[in-house]
This record gives sequence, structure tokens and C-alpha cells, in this order.
Amino acid sequence: MTPEERDLLAGEYALGTLTAAEAQAVEAAMANDPALAAQVLDWQRRLAPLTVLAAPEAPPPGLWARIEASLNPAPPPRARAPWLTRFWALGATAVAAGLAVVVLTRQPAPPPGPLMTVLLTDREAPAFLVEADRRDGEIRLAALNNRPVPEGRVRQLWALPQGATAPTSLGLVPEDGRISVRHADIRPEPGMLIEITLEPPGGSPIGRPTGPVLFIGRLLPARGT
Amino acid sequence: MSESSLAELLAQVAAGQGEALRRIYERQSVRLFGVANAILRDRDQAADALHTAFLSIQRRAGQYDPARGAAEAWLGTVVRNAALDIIRARGRETPTDDPTLGDTAVEPEALSALEAIETGARLRQCLEGLPEKNRRGIVLAFVHGLSHPQIAERLELPLGTVKTWIRRGLLSLRECLA
Repeated sequence: MTPEERDLLAGEYALGTLTAAEAQAVEAAMANDPALAAQVLDWQRRLAPLTVLAAPEAPPPGLWARIEASLNPAPPPRARAPWLTRFWALGATAVAAGLAVVVLTRQPAPPPGPLMTVLLTDREAPAFLVEADRRDGEIRLAALNNRPVPEGRVRQLWALPQGATAPTSLGLVPEDGRISVRHADIRPEPGMLIEITLEPPGGSPIGRPTGPVLFIGRLLPARGT
Repeated sequence: MSESSLAELLAQVAAGQGEALRRIYERQSVRLFGVANAILRDRDQAADALHTAFLSIQRRAGQYDPARGAAEAWLGTVVRNAALDIIRARGRETPTDDPTLGDTAVEPEALSALEAIETGARLRQCLEGLPEKNRRGIVLAFVHGLSHPQIAERLELPLGTVKTWIRRGLLSLRECLA
């Protein structure tokens, strides 16, 4: 198949015109072929605005209740620091005394907990685990299901802090899919987007992504901390 | 206080705020149910598609990147994928002579709806640059989930011709949007 034919197949898959058997074949190929998966994503992005052409229609009443009943419970709110809980437990008349207790017994604020995200393929298969340490700024990437990279291309890791307009390169992802980096300008924070793009050898020549986004995820506090 | 944008609501969903998902449902469910029903033409199955899609939106909200397109378009893609999964599983027996299968979406003036979202204006220009049959084929396939043989039947054209025209249409769109 020529590169042109491959891209058209990705386009037809995104358009939805393939038969069930053909679509299944494309899905199976995508699982082993990040470049094809990226081409499908690009087509979905190009065509996505067409969804506004469908005639709006009210869903059946009760659908939200059905959805809500099946949602995963939200992550529990982070526990208040114990000293603060004790402080609130004191009566109003004991505030001054409480403050004194707090001052005497307060431990140093716990260090900010680790952040993590799992980068998913567009078919929701987990591809990479990203962990970030807010104390020293280290970001670690580990492939969960490492796949060969298309010949003549490399994977490049990027971070996009919230509010930033362009991502910052964190470097190239080695063949084994594992990398640990600290970047002087990037402080890991909740909400930061981490993504991997496919780039020419040596990485993007212009300092921002030029190739398709293969995997993307958003850093959040690791649960249970 | 101004209302949160859809992109902001998606960021809140990603941060675990369950309330934000309900607000997205309130604002978008009529449009998104329309997206699913245009493909499935069966309200029960469209409800199943929307159900699956909202579970997916909750899990994947962190993947939405505002720099890469409008939130409406992202939500639409998630719903459309859920509907296509259902239609493929049932073997695409959707009848094409269904009178509710309107051609309205294919008319050039209907394309003005694309202007409503950020990335839609450019796509509209590109679609309007296509020959009519290529454009009709692409819109019927995308909006109504029709397969190649169904589009051929609908446009009364040989299957091979339809495939070729849609491919040509996709190539022109890719070039035009580049």
C-alpha cells in the first residue's frame, strides 16, 4: 500500500464508510502502528466540525440519571492536614489557645504529592505512564506497551503548562520508551498536558511539534496521597 | 459571573469535578443526541451511544487539548465513534429509504452551521470548493453514517464511482485544510 493509500484508508475509517470487517482491520492495524493511529486522529480532527450538521434532537428524559448512576465515583477530596482538622475542632472560645497549640505542634507542610497520568491512544489503550515529582521537577516516562516507531521517525515528549500557548520539548523518547527528565523551565503542576508526537530524526527542527500527536494526557495528583 | 466555556468544563471534569460533566450534558445533550440519532436512526440505540460517550468523556476529558480544535468538535467525535461502534456491531442494516434521512445537511446553505464553531469556517470553505457529488458523499457518510454501498444507492451511482469520488473529496479536503 502506498503512503497515499494508507492515509486515504485512515480518512475512510474516520469518515465511517468502511464495512465492519474493514474497520476492524484498521483498528487492529492501529494498535501496532502509531503512525496510522495518528493519521486517523488527524482525519477525525479535520472532519469533526461536520458533527454540527446533524439535526439537534432532545434525548429521552431520564437518560442523564441513567448515565449518572453508572459513572465512576469521583476521586475523594484530599484529606485536610490533621493539625488543621484539630484547629477547626476547637471551640470559638479556645481559638487563641488553639493557635498556640497549632504553633507548637504544627509539622512542616507536607511536600506536594506526586503527579501522574496515563497517556492513552485514541482507542483508550494505555500507552505510557508519566509520573512527576513536584519537589525536584523530575518527570519520568515509562512505556506500558512499547511499540516499534516507524522507520526514519522519532517520538518526542512535550509538556504544555496550563495557560501556555506552545508546548516545551522535554526531549526524545528512547527506543525502550523510558526517559527521566528535569527541565529548568518546566515545573510539573496539576493540569499540565503531556504529549508525545512523531517527528523527523533528531526531533522537531522548529522547537514545537510538527508531527501528529500519538499520545496525550493531563497530569493530576496521584490518588491515595 | 460569566458561564464557563465547554473547554473549561472539560478541564474541570478531568480534575474530578463530577458536577462539570452534568453541566456539559445539560448544554450539549440535545445536539449530541442529534449526532447519534442521525447515524443510528433509532432513539434507544442513540441513547445507548450517548451513555457510552459520556462515560468516555469522563475518562478522557484530560486528553482534550483546546489548542487542537473546538470542544464541540471533540465531544461530537466521541459521540460519533460510540454511534459508529454500534452501527458496525449491528451490521449496518440501516435502511436508506428512511424518509427521516434528510438531505438537508447536504445543501450548501446548511453548511453555514459550520461557522458556529471555531474550526468550522475553514472546513466550510473547503467543502464548498468540492464538486457537488463529492461533497454530498462526504456529508452523507459523516453525518448519517452511510457506508459506500448505501451512498451509491442513495446517489444512484455505481459503487466504484462513489468510492473514487469520496477518496478524491478527502484528498482535496486534506490539501485545502493543510
